[in-house]
Amino acid sequence: MNETEENFGSIYFAVLGAVALAFGVAELIATVPGEASWGIMEMSGIFLPWRAIILLSVGFFYLSSVKNFAEVHQLAKAVMASIMIWIVAGIAIWARIAGSIPGEETWFNSLEGFLASYAPPYCPEMFLLPFSLVIVYYVLKEKEEK
Amino acid sequence: MQVKEEVVKVPLSVDERWDLIEKISKQTVEFGARKHTLKDAIAELTVKPLTGIPVAIAVIYGFWAFFCEFAGTLFTDGFMVRLFDEHWLPWLQSVFPGKETWLYFIFVGDPAADNCFEAFGMLTSGLFVIFGVVLWAVLAFYLIFAILEDVGYLPRLAVLVDTVLHKIGLHGYAIVPTFLSLGCNVPGVTATRPLETRKQRFMMMTLLAIFVPCGAQIGIMQDLVPEMMGWIFLTLAIGYLGFGFVLNKIVPGKSPEIIMDVPPYQMPTLKNIMSKLWIRTSGFLLVAVPFVLLGCLIVGLMYLTGAMDWLAAVFGPLLTVWFGVPSETVAPLIAGFLRKDLAVGMLGGLMEQGIMTTFQVFTSVILLCIYFPCLATFALMIKEENWKEILGSLASLVAMVFVYGGLIHLVGIMLGVA
Repeated sequence: MNETEENFGSIYFAVLGAVALAFGVAELIATVPGEASWGIMEMSGIFLPWRAIILLSVGFFYLSSVKNFAEVHQLAKAVMASIMIWIVAGIAIWARIAGSIPGEETWFNSLEGFLASYAPPYCPEMFLLPFSLVIVYYVLKEKEEK
Repeated sequence: MQVKEEVVKVPLSVDERWDLIEKISKQTVEFGARKHTLKDAIAELTVKPLTGIPVAIAVIYGFWAFFCEFAGTLFTDGFMVRLFDEHWLPWLQSVFPGKETWLYFIFVGDPAADNCFEAFGMLTSGLFVIFGVVLWAVLAFYLIFAILEDVGYLPRLAVLVDTVLHKIGLHGYAIVPTFLSLGCNVPGVTATRPLETRKQRFMMMTLLAIFVPCGAQIGIMQDLVPEMMGWIFLTLAIGYLGFGFVLNKIVPGKSPEIIMDVPPYQMPTLKNIMSKLWIRTSGFLLVAVPFVLLGCLIVGLMYLTGAMDWLAAVFGPLLTVWFGVPSETVAPLIAGFLRKDLAVGMLGGLMEQGIMTTFQVFTSVILLCIYFPCLATFALMIKEENWKEILGSLASLVAMVFVYGGLIHLVGIMLGVA
């Protein structure tokens, strides 16, 4: 990876790490009342404390990876952080899929009910998911160079 | 032919063998500095405690959340409860002849029941427990387990928990039988075979039998008391580590190190995952189906003959005074000898009748986990252990149930919830 890519990666994942850390703190605070919402973002559920711990770790992983970002061990931290986001966000998406198929009164949900299951609010990890995918570019780049 | 004869006639000493190995390796292996790849670096991160523990939390969270959504939300609550409670049960109640007969009671159960948890017949509760709840729970568990196994994460988890498990005389490898037991205790007990000493095997089997609920039981618990699952697992984990520590101190023998292969991370193949899933799930069903149906039959017969009321009267005072649970818990405890999932399902029936408080449900679920392994696990333990060890395991079980069950009741009294 060239210097520009390395610098961009450092700045990008520093910002993403800071945002993840802020979301993690927000989730941790939300565990006290049990739920909190902000616009189309919602923090709730019985796993909230665990998600908060994971998100805080994601933030620390990203932030600790920014120095000398091109080095393989540093890059690995960012990859691991992204995988952790994919696990949590993937489960959130899976939960919506699982809930959207069976209907309330009928065997299967109606089209309206099915689509409504995917409407906001979303958990913070789902907002981070698309931004975490940038790491795929760096992984491919690293593979290419190898 | 002649060379072979010479080798046999002049065996090499240990030193000579090492010299020979060195000579061969010098001629065949190229040595040099190896550059770490991204895969190596990720592998390192997952075994170092500082980074490995958050990753383990994320993986276990993913495991558990997938299990709940797949088995609970999608299959059991989404389709199976409706299928069994709204179609299968009313249909059976309408077509099965002789509502007052013992045959009806055994096969269909309580004629007034409006759900399969309460009916308790072989064809109602029995089939609902197996195909309505347990099958999906076991399927979800073994799917994720196979993925983690094939990716290569499990050995790394073993390395990560090695230090903690050494405190109780076990090796990090013990996480493999423990995880397997979360699916079914039977393969979990079988997986203790690589442990080197009888002490380690005895400890591991005893801990598995007492403190590790199987996937079937977890599935039913998740369906009945989802809000208590965290507390249930915390109580069991404390018991696992605490009782393991005590066993390590009192059981004679050694706990030597074992060398474990940690393979590189790799992409799992669909074929492998599917074949593992099929072998494990079908194996589980072969064990579970007869025992669940037999359990329903025995419990039904005990109700019909009045044996259950007699047992409730005999053990009632002990259950009420020492453990703080109602005497009606006798029936699930007896069913628990055959199948724990069935027994927890029976607790569900008691809950719906309003017989138990929330704390009593919690205590009963813990008691069901720790008081005796299911029959299939016990039969395997008899095969794997000698009689002295079996008696030791049983003595540990009895002591554990009384101490831990009483302690939970005491904590409940102190907190004002019992």
